[in-house]
Amino acid sequence: MITQIARKEFTDLLRDGRFRFSALIVGALLLVSLGVSWTQVRAASAQLEAAEATARDHWDSQGEKNPHSAAHYGIYAFKPRLPLSFIDQGVDPWTGTSVWLEAHRQNDFLMRPAQDATSAQRFGSLTAAGVLQHLVPLLIILLAFGAVAGEREQGTLRQLLASGVGRRQLVAGKALGIAIALSLLVIPAAVLGAIALVIGSNAAGELADRAAVLSLVYVAYFGAFIALSLAVSAWVSSSRVALMSLLALWVVNGLVAPRAAVDLSEWLHPAPTAFEFSRTVEQEMRAGVEGIRPPDRQAITQALLDEHGVESVEELPINVSGVTLQASEEFGNQIFDRNYNALWDTFERQSRVHESLAIVAPLLAVRALSMGLAGTDVEQHRHFATAAETYRRDLMRSMNGDLAQNSRTGETYFADDELWESVPPLEYDAPELAWVLGNRTLSLLMLGGWLLVATAAAVMGARRREDV
Amino acid sequence: MAIGTVLRNEVQLLKADRLLVAALVVFAVLFSYALANGVAWASKLEGTVEAVRAADAERAASLVEELEHIAAGGDPVSRFTDPRSPNVMGGARGAVTAVLEPGPLAALSAGQTDLLPYYYDVSIYTNEQTFLQNGEVANPLNLMVGRFDLAFVIVYLLPLLVLALGYNVLSAEREQGTLALTLSQPVSARTVVTAKLLFRGMIVIGVALAASLVGVAVGGGWSAPERVALWCATVVVYSLFWFALAAWVNTLGRSSAWNATALVGAWLALVVVVPSTVNVAAGLLHPPPSRIAMISEARQASNDAVNQRSILLARYLEDHPEMAVGVVPDRRNTAALAWAATEEVNRRLEGVANRHDQALAAQRTMVRRYGLLSPALVAHGVLSSAAGNDDERFERFETQVRGFAEEWKEYFVPAILEGRSMELNAVAERPAFDFVEESQAQVIGRTTLPLLWLTLLAGLAIAPAVVGLGRVRGAE
Repeated sequence: MITQIARKEFTDLLRDGRFRFSALIVGALLLVSLGVSWTQVRAASAQLEAAEATARDHWDSQGEKNPHSAAHYGIYAFKPRLPLSFIDQGVDPWTGTSVWLEAHRQNDFLMRPAQDATSAQRFGSLTAAGVLQHLVPLLIILLAFGAVAGEREQGTLRQLLASGVGRRQLVAGKALGIAIALSLLVIPAAVLGAIALVIGSNAAGELADRAAVLSLVYVAYFGAFIALSLAVSAWVSSSRVALMSLLALWVVNGLVAPRAAVDLSEWLHPAPTAFEFSRTVEQEMRAGVEGIRPPDRQAITQALLDEHGVESVEELPINVSGVTLQASEEFGNQIFDRNYNALWDTFERQSRVHESLAIVAPLLAVRALSMGLAGTDVEQHRHFATAAETYRRDLMRSMNGDLAQNSRTGETYFADDELWESVPPLEYDAPELAWVLGNRTLSLLMLGGWLLVATAAAVMGARRREDV
Repeated sequence: MAIGTVLRNEVQLLKADRLLVAALVVFAVLFSYALANGVAWASKLEGTVEAVRAADAERAASLVEELEHIAAGGDPVSRFTDPRSPNVMGGARGAVTAVLEPGPLAALSAGQTDLLPYYYDVSIYTNEQTFLQNGEVANPLNLMVGRFDLAFVIVYLLPLLVLALGYNVLSAEREQGTLALTLSQPVSARTVVTAKLLFRGMIVIGVALAASLVGVAVGGGWSAPERVALWCATVVVYSLFWFALAAWVNTLGRSSAWNATALVGAWLALVVVVPSTVNVAAGLLHPPPSRIAMISEARQASNDAVNQRSILLARYLEDHPEMAVGVVPDRRNTAALAWAATEEVNRRLEGVANRHDQALAAQRTMVRRYGLLSPALVAHGVLSSAAGNDDERFERFETQVRGFAEEWKEYFVPAILEGRSMELNAVAERPAFDFVEESQAQVIGRTTLPLLWLTLLAGLAIAPAVVGLGRVRGAE
């Protein structure tokens, strides 16, 4: 019986000019956005590889100099783009793309692509994620608002129920019919996306699990929207009211709630201004804070003299400067950790506010999951920033270590290419799927909740009225 | 008389329609939330500007203090931070901060203030890389989504309210069978619809303008009345466009559900799809050269420059004889040699920066041109220009900072090259930065065309609506 209803619903939809028209537009936008983002990600990745090679070359070929001069010269790290980011570019345009790893300082990531775009950027970019999160639900609403209410208005609902169709069967059949019609649009896009992913990346195998979960997330989202639309269609008095309420819901879901979350998150968890942040770091670097004290060169020297049992620094087998510089790095690292961790934690709490508002707008849960799985959320930006900073600290340690071990205090010392080339490149591994999902448990719960509640509401809605 | 009757009738109906009243209440709440956010944001910006200026004054005071100490026979704290040295007073220690105050109507529209830097420390070392810095500390997620300010409510949500109020002005009467009755009275369909929409329009536009004016009053925007007028005019014309669109769709004689679907489709196309497509197309057709290239160029240039500083100095003096009269390039003036290397790096960076600025300018031109397809994009542009937080004002600021940095160098570089010391009076005498705001005429001149275009679009929607309404008959 369900299949019969589904088949009938499906055929009706296919015959409906409105469906064909809007599905065509949504499908075209989906394909165009996939294509454009894919070429952009490819171009960006190529650019990045070239930049990495140049940066490494600059480091290797800096010639003879003191290791501490080399540490000041530093090296640039560039944020890689995960191949899946062509589906959802997430916050990538809004985060810096490169960071200068130099002595004494943890620098910010600079060069946000958005700063190099016009303010039209504020209207959002045409991306596959945008089409899937905003336009497909609208299409679902247009397909489903009249599914029950329309039958009731035409009097066919009574007929159907009288002919022995169960109400649950009716709703299930309708849902199935809409789902099949929708899959005509979504499945080809998903297949093309998968092909693009395989062509675009040699790491596609490692991303298969992320891609699979990503697909499931969107299936659940569409499922929730189908159920929700059917529920509303069954509950309200007329198809006009069903349409209006669903459109209102769509506006809240895609427009009001996401924006409202921005300011709300900043009211609840204010971040310092750029000025306050840099001033705090500067002050703490100068004077220390809460038991973190700047290193004392004299004390370090005395300790070294005592340790080696000698009278003067010239007799020491190591260079005091190297040791002091490293001590000052360790001190700075503690200050940077304090401040940057606090800032990142504030950002994560703000993200949590966005996710919590998924209680009124499922899009917020889906968006968080989608960005997470595509590797373009704030948490994964932090993950890379942490990796880059760890690399900087290792680099500084090896420069200071070389200075300390291979020179004597006060002598002029130059290291050469051998030392520069001994520094390993920054190898970055994107986090595992479990890590991503661990960050997003709230969104998973919210999405699951929506799917359950909407389905229950649709089933109950079908049972609610005494139509017979 | 007829309009008055319909209007009175509408007030009665509206009172009875709980859904409509609820929609208006919801909107009043949204407007208030946007206003509160905008005011909070603007005051945060102002607080930062104040703090930045205070730090600037502190830096100058510390220079004066040490210079007085030295004048009284004391020693400088350190040879490396001796304020008498021109590359210290003109360098990081003596840097002054060039500040762009938030626009006059910042409380209404955050614009680009959350993304672009609005203050720079200017010193002799200011170069193209200086302008690569980030703006305010911001969660990238929040930047991506955008702030909930009045401009957002007006550009995105207000049309939806208009459509909700207007999608069935005529079709509902037809569906309820009251159209024939209404039109049997001595009124035309044109009068009925005009009166209904006029009434609804007054409410919507009234609420939007009231919220805007509250924002102006709280944020102190009265100092720029031309911007307030510009803002209000845009709100009115933009709302008119959507009302006209609703009226026109109503004259097509379709069902209310069809009207709603078509209008939401139009909204989606004009407010969401066209702007994001224009945005993507602009980036695709005019990609700015990678900023990464600028870093590589800077590194390469500084590597090259370090090894040939004396050659560079000779060349620099040849190119800029005015900078240092009678300085001999081969003198052992390390500050001068370092300066020559710095200047060479700057010169090479400017090449990359120029290519970059050209691409960005081409992008802007394209967005301006194709953006005309979307009234939302046009309205958003004029609103942020009125608020003073648009790309153009930031660009103006950057240009002035560049000019100021040149002035600054002209003041300090001759002293560096001649090996001259700075005196106490130099602190007061150094160039100071004052942002020159666009004049009233410039703001209006720049926004007239887009505003006229918006008016034309509204007119294009009104015309068929008026014609269509003339054809409506009670009985069909």
